Amino acid sequence: MAKEYEFTQIIKDHEGVIFKITTIYTNNHEDQKDLYQEIVYQLWKSFDNFRGDSKISTWMYRVGLNTAITRLKKEKRKGNQIGIDQVIMKQTDQYDTEFEERLKILYAHIHGLNELEKGLMLLLLEGKKYEEIASITGLSPSNVGTRISRIKQKLKTQIVKK
Amino acid sequence: MELEEMQAVWSQMSDQIEKQKKLTDKMIIMMTQEQYRKKLNKIAYPEIIGAVICYSVAILILFNLEKLDNWYSLVSGLISVVTLLVLPVLSLKWISKMRNINISGNSYKETLIEYTKGKQRFKKSMKLGYYLGFVLMFVIMPVSSKIIKGKDLFTETKSIWPIVIAIPLAIIFFFVFTKWVYKSYTGSMNSAEVLIKELEEKE
Repeated sequence: MAKEYEFTQIIKDHEGVIFKITTIYTNNHEDQKDLYQEIVYQLWKSFDNFRGDSKISTWMYRVGLNTAITRLKKEKRKGNQIGIDQVIMKQTDQYDTEFEERLKILYAHIHGLNELEKGLMLLLLEGKKYEEIASITGLSPSNVGTRISRIKQKLKTQIVKK
Repeated sequence: MELEEMQAVWSQMSDQIEKQKKLTDKMIIMMTQEQYRKKLNKIAYPEIIGAVICYSVAILILFNLEKLDNWYSLVSGLISVVTLLVLPVLSLKWISKMRNINISGNSYKETLIEYTKGKQRFKKSMKLGYYLGFVLMFVIMPVSSKIIKGKDLFTETKSIWPIVIAIPLAIIFFFVFTKWVYKSYTGSMNSAEVLIKELEEKE
């Protein structure tokens, strides 16, 4: 019971992290809900192995990102899903139109990146330092820097094209 | 949109998310359980049903081998059995490999390499699966004719015209089919190769 309590507290404290990962790696609401549950499930499964060797957020990003890229995609999902609609933010209820438009542009840019770049971009937007990005991704801090420069370049090219 | 602007939008969105936290303990526990059930179902139905069908047909042929009393029926029968045994293994092996990726222990880079390589191997084996399926479609005809009707498809058929028409049609179909398989896989395989090469670059 103590383990369950500890786990639920951690998830509640970091639910925004899971939400943001799901927005980056999915293109529709159904997939997003499915991935959200999958990440919570994988976190629960690996909770025993997480012994505080790394920061909670590092563990969560690592499991979340790994789950997102290894998820076996199914064309149709009919299984009952937990009502996480309330959890998934309905942008129209929350934002003004202008902000919504900017958010859409941001997502469009991110969805145009490859899997590796998406992960790096997410961590960069989350304000992570190169060292922490390196410990989550397994790249060296200098390599993280190089790749982020390439992403910036790529984003600039996308803007020019548009 | 410049990176700085992206960061500002992202930060504003993060603030909004923080304000509307709605997960409850019950929902979190239910999610883990529901997902667990769904995960079992995902593996269980399509793959296992396919494997059961393939293995049942293979067993049926093996039990009726004595009915295949000439060399070409026997060869067709054995090719069919081998194909039916190999086909399910191709997809089941990949699924089991993907499920064994260490999601909590691996870094993002390791997972990405492992997954992309696995996906490449899967696509290659699926390509092989399509070709085997195509071969199976033909070799199983004389076998089923012998086992079900007890007739030799080549010597006891009243008219040879159906066979004469079927063979050129099958060859045309095979060429179109091969081209389609090649086209479907080449693009995604190339992008996977680029990604692996990039990830495995020495730092």
